[in-house]
Amino acid sequence: MKKWMSFIVMGVAMFVLSACGSSNVTKESNQHSNYPTKPIVFVAPSGAGGGWDLTARAVTKVLNETKLVKQTMTVENKPGGGGAVFMAEYATQDKNNDYKLFVSSPPIIINNLKAEGNSPFGYKDTTPLAQLTKDFGAIVVKADSKFQSLPQLIDEIKKKPKSVTIAGGSAPGSMDHLIAILPIYKSGIDPKIVKYVSYDGGGEAMAALLGGNADVIATDASSVEEYVKARKVRVLAVSAPERLGGNLKDVPTMKELGIDAEFTIWRGVFGAKQMSDDAKRFWEDTFKKLSEHEKWKEELTTQGWQPEYKGSDEFVQFLQEQEKLIRDMLKSLGMYK
Amino acid sequence: MEAITFLFDGFQTALQPHNLLFAFIGVLIGTAVGVLPGIGPMSGVALLIPVTASMTTGLDPAQAATSSIILLAGVYYGAMYGGSTTSILLNTPGESSSVVTTLDGYQMAKQGRAGSALAIAAIGSFVAGIVSLIALVLLAQPLSNLALKFGPAEYFSLMLLGLAAVSGLAGNSMTKAWMMTVFGLLLSTIGLDSVSGVARFTYDISVLYGGLEFLTVAVGLFALGEVFKAILHKEKNDGEIAKIGRIIPSKEDLKESAGPIARGSLLGFFVGVLPGAGATLASFFSYIVEKKLSQTPEKFGKGTIAGVAAPESANNAASGGAMIPLLTLGIPGSGTTAILMGALIMYNVQPGPLLFDEHPDVAWGLIASMFIGNIMLLILNMPLVKIFAKIIETPSKYLLPLIIAISIFGVYAVQVTTFDVLLLIAFGVFGYLLSSHDFPLAPLVLGLVLGPMIENNMRRALTSSNGDFMIFFEKPISLVLIIAAVLWVLVPLFMKLKGKNVVINEDM
Repeated sequence: MKKWMSFIVMGVAMFVLSACGSSNVTKESNQHSNYPTKPIVFVAPSGAGGGWDLTARAVTKVLNETKLVKQTMTVENKPGGGGAVFMAEYATQDKNNDYKLFVSSPPIIINNLKAEGNSPFGYKDTTPLAQLTKDFGAIVVKADSKFQSLPQLIDEIKKKPKSVTIAGGSAPGSMDHLIAILPIYKSGIDPKIVKYVSYDGGGEAMAALLGGNADVIATDASSVEEYVKARKVRVLAVSAPERLGGNLKDVPTMKELGIDAEFTIWRGVFGAKQMSDDAKRFWEDTFKKLSEHEKWKEELTTQGWQPEYKGSDEFVQFLQEQEKLIRDMLKSLGMYK
Repeated sequence: MEAITFLFDGFQTALQPHNLLFAFIGVLIGTAVGVLPGIGPMSGVALLIPVTASMTTGLDPAQAATSSIILLAGVYYGAMYGGSTTSILLNTPGESSSVVTTLDGYQMAKQGRAGSALAIAAIGSFVAGIVSLIALVLLAQPLSNLALKFGPAEYFSLMLLGLAAVSGLAGNSMTKAWMMTVFGLLLSTIGLDSVSGVARFTYDISVLYGGLEFLTVAVGLFALGEVFKAILHKEKNDGEIAKIGRIIPSKEDLKESAGPIARGSLLGFFVGVLPGAGATLASFFSYIVEKKLSQTPEKFGKGTIAGVAAPESANNAASGGAMIPLLTLGIPGSGTTAILMGALIMYNVQPGPLLFDEHPDVAWGLIASMFIGNIMLLILNMPLVKIFAKIIETPSKYLLPLIIAISIFGVYAVQVTTFDVLLLIAFGVFGYLLSSHDFPLAPLVLGLVLGPMIENNMRRALTSSNGDFMIFFEKPISLVLIIAAVLWVLVPLFMKLKGKNVVINEDM
C-alpha cells in the first residue's frame, strides 16, 4: 500500500515542479544567441480540451521533459471565432513577439479564404515553424449501406444528388465539408449539388450515420478506426497518399480509385511574422530534435497521432499547395471570399 | 444477471484503496470547480488530465486508465453538485446547467432558507446520481439504440415542446414571457450559422462569430441585474440580514421535494442520454414540468423548494445519462464528456461499441466508482451547506461587490476576452431594466439555449427530406412530441374558453 502513496507523492511533486519550471537562464550550447531568455507562451486558439489544446500541451510537456527548451513554457487558451479572434490579435499586436507561438491546422487556411466568417489573417501573417502530425479525411458509410465503393457512391450522387445525404461535423465551407466534396469535385462533378448536412462535431455526425439520419459522413480517419473494428461502419476511401495501417489497411486511397485527390489534416506550430532570425533558427532546430526524440514518439503513440515532420521551408511550400487546393474547392462551391 | 456480476467486479476495482482515494480527490476538486465560478466542469477536467497522467505513472496501463478516469469523472459529476451553490446564494450561476436553480434557489436564500435549498440540492443530486447509475447499469444498451434513433426531426420536435412549455417560466404575463422568448431566439441567431456557414449579425467582428456566450448572458441578467436592482432600489430592509434558518430540510420540505426529485431524476436521465441536449435543457424541462404538475404553480419563482429540487436532480441525472452514448457509442454528448473521451483515448481505451468487451475492468470500475463517489459527495456536501449558508448572512454592502467581482472574474476566466466582460455588464443593465418592468428573464435564457438547436435541427431535417415538412409527422417519436407540444398550448386555451379558471394571462 506504500507503493501507491509514493506514486501520488511523486505525481504531485512532478506537477509542482513542472508548474514552477526551470527559472535559471542557461545558454543553448550549440546556439550563438541567447534566445530564449524569457518564458514562452504556446497559444491554443480554442478552449481547453480540443485538438489544438492537446497538441500545445503535449508539445510543451515533451519539450520540457526532454530539456530541449529550458525556459518555462505555458499554454494559453484563446477561444473564439474558430481561431479568428486570436489571429486578429496575434497578427497585429504580436507580430514581432519571439516568445509567443501557436498551434494550428488546416482551418487557418480555410478561414482566411472563405467568404463567410472570414478571418482576415492567415498563415501568411505568421512564420510557419514546423508540421508535427498528420491525419487524413475519410468517407464513411454504415456497415449495412448499399454503397460498397466510392465510385458507386459518386455515381449515385451524379445521378440522384437529392437521394444521398452527406453529414459532417462542421459548417459548410469548413473542413469536413471540403473532405466530403473533395472526391466529387476531383471527379469533375459540380460539388454544389452535394446535399451536405452539418452537425456540431464529428461525434454527432457519427451518431447521425449510425442512426440512419445520414447516408455518408466525412470525418478524420483516426476517429473512425474503432467503429471499423466494431464492424459498425465501412470506410470507402481515405484522402491519404498511400494506404493507412491498422484497422484501415484494407481501405483504398482516393488515388488508387483513380481520383487524383489528397488532403492532409496536419497540425503544426507557428511563430510571429517578424520573428527574429535567432528565434526562428532556435525553433526550427528544436522542433527537428523534438520530432526525432523517443519521448515525442511515445507521446504520439499515447495520443494516437501519426507523426509527420516538416521543417519551416518545406512546411511553407506544403501550405501553399494546400491553400491552392482549398481555394479551388471553395471557388467551385461559390464560397470563396 | 450478467450486468450485476460485472458490476460486482467493478466494485472490487473501485474499492481498492488507491481508487477510493482517486474518487475522493475527483469529487473534492469537482465540488470546488462547481462552487467556483469561472472554472466550469469542462476546463476543470481538461486541466486535470496532465495531472492525473503524472499521478498514475507507474501503474500498469489498464489500472492507470481506470484510476484516471475515476478521478476525472468524479470532477465531472462533482461539479454538478457544487454548481447549485452560487446560484442559490448569490444568484450567480456557475454552470449553465444551474441557471434555472437561481429562480427559486435565490428566493429561498433571501427568505433565510438557504440551508434547506442547499441541502435539498445535495440530496436531490445524490438521489438522481444513484437513479441514473442504476438506469445506466440496466438500460445502457437499449438506450444507446434509442439515442441513435433521435435524428434532427426528433430533436426539432423535442425543442418545440420545450418552447411550447415556456409558459411554465412566465411570471404574471404570458405576453411578456413570449416577448422574452422571441428576443432570446433572436439573440441566438448571432454568429456563424452552422448549417449554411453564413455569418449573421456579426458585422465582420470576429468575437461575434461564435455567437453570444450563454453563461455570460445568464450571469449578466441574473446576478448583475439583481445587484443593480439592490443598489438602485435601496430596499428598506437595508440593515436587515436574511438569517439562515435550519440547515436540515424540514419534513415538509422533504415531502414536497420527493416527487420533483424522482421526476427530475428520470427526466434528466433521459434527456442526458440524447447527445447534444444535455444538462442545461434537462434542468429547464424538469422545472417546467414541476410547475405544470404543481397544485400551487404560483409559488414557483418565489422560493418553492420543488423549484430547486427538480432542476438540481435533473442536471445530475443528465450527467449520468450522458455516460451512455459516451461509453457505448463513443459519442460525447457534451463538451465535458468529449474531454473525458479524450482522456480515455490517451490511455488507449477507446470508448465505443467495443469498450465493454475489451476493457470491462475500466468501464465497470468507473460505473462502480460513481456509486461510491455519489455517496462521498453527499457526505462531503452536507457539512459544507452549513459553511456556505453563512455567506448569505454577509451584509449587502460586502455581498454586492463580491457578486460583481465573482461575476466578472468568472466570465473572464472562461472567455478570456474583454468583449464578454462588456457584454456581461450590458446584460446586467438590461436585466435590471427588464426585471424592474416585470419581464421574466428565464424565457429569454431558454430562448437563447433552444434557438440554435431548434433552428439547426429543423434545417438539417428539411435538408435531408429535400424540403418536405412531412418528415416531422412521419417519424413516430417526432409526431408524438409535436402532438404533446400542441396540446400543451391548446388545452389551457380550451379550458379557459369553457370558463374554467385557468391561468393563461393573469394581468391582461
